[in-house]
Amino acid sequence: MLGPIGWIILGLVPPLILMLYFLKLRRTPLEVPSTYLWTKTIEDLHVNSIWQRLRNSLLLLLQLLLALLLILACLGPGCQGQKLSGDRFIHLIDQSASMSATDLPNGQTRLEFAKQEVAKLIDSMDSEDTAMIISFSDRANVKQSYTRNRSLLKRKLAEIKQTQRGSDISEALLAASGLANPGRTSDRESERDVQVADALAARLFIFSDGAVKEVANFSLGNLVPEYRPVGAFDIPNNVGITAFAISDDLDTVGLQAFAQIQNSDDENHSVDVELYVNDELHDLQDDFEIEAGDTRGISFDLGGLLDGLESSVPVRLEIKDSDVYSLDNVAYGIIEPPSQSRVLILTRNNPYLQFVFETDRLKKLAEVEFKEPDFLKTKEYQDNAILGIYDCVIFDQCAPEKMPECNTVFIGSLPTSEEWQASEKQFPTLVVDTDNSHPLMYNIQMGNVLIIESSQLTGPKGMVALMESTSGTIMGVGPRGGFEDLVIGFPIIEYSDQGDETHNSDWPNHLSFPLFMQNVVIGLGGGSRFDSTQGTQPGKLVNIKTRMPTSSVEVRDPVGDTIELRPRADRSFVYGNAESTGIYSVIDKESELQDQVFPVNLMDSRESNLAVRENLEIGYDEIIGSVESIPETKQYWPWLVLICLFVLIMEWFIYNRRVFI
Amino acid sequence: MSKVLGGISESKKNEPLLAPELLSQLERLELVSRKIFRGRMKGERRSKRKGQSVEFADFRNYVAGDDLRFIDWNMYARLDKLFLKLFMEEEDLHFYALIDGSSSMEFGDPNKFHYAKQLAAALGYIGLCRADRVKVELLDASPTSDAPVLRGKANLWRMLQYLEGLQSGNNCTLNEAMKSFALRNSGKGILVLITDLMDKSGYESALRYLVARNLDVYLIHVLSQPEIDPDINGDLRLLDCEDGDEAEISVSQRLIDRYRQTLATYIEQAREFCARRGIVYMMTSTERPVDRLVSRYLRQRGLVR
Repeated sequence: MLGPIGWIILGLVPPLILMLYFLKLRRTPLEVPSTYLWTKTIEDLHVNSIWQRLRNSLLLLLQLLLALLLILACLGPGCQGQKLSGDRFIHLIDQSASMSATDLPNGQTRLEFAKQEVAKLIDSMDSEDTAMIISFSDRANVKQSYTRNRSLLKRKLAEIKQTQRGSDISEALLAASGLANPGRTSDRESERDVQVADALAARLFIFSDGAVKEVANFSLGNLVPEYRPVGAFDIPNNVGITAFAISDDLDTVGLQAFAQIQNSDDENHSVDVELYVNDELHDLQDDFEIEAGDTRGISFDLGGLLDGLESSVPVRLEIKDSDVYSLDNVAYGIIEPPSQSRVLILTRNNPYLQFVFETDRLKKLAEVEFKEPDFLKTKEYQDNAILGIYDCVIFDQCAPEKMPECNTVFIGSLPTSEEWQASEKQFPTLVVDTDNSHPLMYNIQMGNVLIIESSQLTGPKGMVALMESTSGTIMGVGPRGGFEDLVIGFPIIEYSDQGDETHNSDWPNHLSFPLFMQNVVIGLGGGSRFDSTQGTQPGKLVNIKTRMPTSSVEVRDPVGDTIELRPRADRSFVYGNAESTGIYSVIDKESELQDQVFPVNLMDSRESNLAVRENLEIGYDEIIGSVESIPETKQYWPWLVLICLFVLIMEWFIYNRRVFI
Repeated sequence: MSKVLGGISESKKNEPLLAPELLSQLERLELVSRKIFRGRMKGERRSKRKGQSVEFADFRNYVAGDDLRFIDWNMYARLDKLFLKLFMEEEDLHFYALIDGSSSMEFGDPNKFHYAKQLAAALGYIGLCRADRVKVELLDASPTSDAPVLRGKANLWRMLQYLEGLQSGNNCTLNEAMKSFALRNSGKGILVLITDLMDKSGYESALRYLVARNLDVYLIHVLSQPEIDPDINGDLRLLDCEDGDEAEISVSQRLIDRYRQTLATYIEQAREFCARRGIVYMMTSTERPVDRLVSRYLRQRGLVR
């Protein structure tokens, strides 16, 4: 836009034209027989000559009109749909999976509509206003920081792409709030975030369907929020898969696929669900009825598929009925061929452990090696431990000098890390709580288990307490790089230096002990009859551990694009490009063979619920959605320029063709 | 370097004053005067003066000194009174053609001065054919004039030679020129004044001199087409070719209309002035051919027949 000097110059143009017109610097001389008649003719024109000249000079009037039109065009007139008052605006635009729903008129997606509305807001900004754009899904992305450049804002707005991620507005709010509130940072992790500009109040426009994670403990401060719900007012028709798993928990039944189907509509629906194995229709269920707002489970029998299975098989579950949100109509899974994990058990002579691992079920799951603790000192162990040959090592009252490159279980001992600490053994130990939500404690009941004495554990950051006694944590699992260490604070059989054995717990006598060991083998040993991992959700990091250590792997996404990864220190690979749902394959670059496949599924009941939330809760504030549509700003200046052009042509025509009015 | 309104055509300037085919056409015509003037010599037309022609005019009483040859003796025999028998006298006619030689006459295509010379030659030739006294001269304020007085068809070449030799650029006022003419010429007759009337001092007093001389005056107002319908545009500084006067105009349709109106008023005023004083006024454009002007328009006005 023009500055003050520009306006002054522009304002001087019409008087200048007038002045030049009166000065008449260039009059063409013409010799005539006599000026007698001409003088007589213009005699009366001398009266009020200025006005007479003005009245007669069509060219001057046209020139003035041209200048005025140009000035008007420079003013950039437009019909402003909504006058934005205030200096700063922050536009938060939801780009999560649910924004891809096409429930708006003329099949527009919610994101497209939101972008359109933000564009209108940008158009209606004053020249002095500044705005920023933040897009968010499960993470926030500051697309454009504060600027007055409207075309830049619009360009950045257009760059916002649809994602298949979940939605979490908190990070976006944090970014916005850091710029609007004094003393806050938009990046909690960084200590170098220095506030360079004064924190000013800003209007915060949130364009979302409201399907966002709850934001607790957040104060908007100087932000004046305005929530613009995006989506159809009527609850759109959507039936989607919110969970999909393949398991064979019950040996009698065999392999089964389970799915959870959610109907977020306010009407009952019946859908056709089809299960594809290796892209071939395996099973289907017609007219699967789901009531309005309800979720129903559905299962498919996959019995017999595991027999003779040598490579992984992709499984796809599809809802055949189309709706406005196609993303949750498909779910992917993988059936891996049976694989045994390698478990090393270092124990003196624990008959219970030996007994448990003799069972058929665990034999199927794992190849177990029993060794005395002295085995730790052998080169064989050290090599194997470094190479990550074992999937899991169980240390029964012993500990290695250096932690192996695999998951570990410590029974009555501690990992060689300062992060793990144990108190003196305390008597008696009463188990008061177990975390049954953790896979390792799945189906484990400890109520009737006696433990004589146990140490209380403190572990590394991120440790999960699995079992707690009256005095503290007695079993916990904590991370170590890409591995996990399970520490049990009490031994089952204590060995004295003389070789005497004392039973410290009657846990092995209970059913929960073999179940626990099975969970350990499955959870920490990676042993299962098949890999039933549900993979991950779009946008999440995927930790890939190859069967054999390798120098690089290639990950191929469902579209066919590949990316090569290098191993981290713990020989695992991290893949961060799982942006869309589908089946990803990992290829070992050394052997050029497929190492594994993993599915990426939406599986988010919040994203599958397309009902537009009328209000948005942010911390203790409830923001009521304003559904008013933003009238489009109409720009008139291009028309003015067009008229200018027309006037110019007319002027030229009049000058050259001697047209008179 | 200024442009010139209408331009000057050299080719038209070099055209002969009288085309041979026009000569034969003109020979059939004669100049007509609405008044009967007394000529100096016997001519071919009836004079106001009673003379010796065969045509009887009147009787009058004899007074001492009258020529006895004209006494009507038959009348004396019958009435015993002396009467003189009067006959009509046939005389020649004075024909004056006055050409405006001011610079403004040099404009137009064909140029007004040339047109005026052509017209004067044509009318002069008619007069020569009818043995009238023809005098063609340039408007001039000087007390003497070298213009020859011609009579008889044989003097055509002298007249043309004299006309060819005339040069424009004599910017005297119409008033001065007329005054000078009136002083120099006492003879009565027909006077054709060929001018563009572009005289800032006015034409009225000039014409009064002629009216006072009791001449049969014809005023032929010659204008070029660009003067009648100016084809100009833009912002102009008009330069008067005679006195260098300037007029700044910005051409618009309104101005052009106003000019046309002014011209029409000017012509109308001149026509009215002339009509009131018995002067025959006629406006012509240089685009109207001289032969058509003479054979049709001047015939209608009664100058020729």
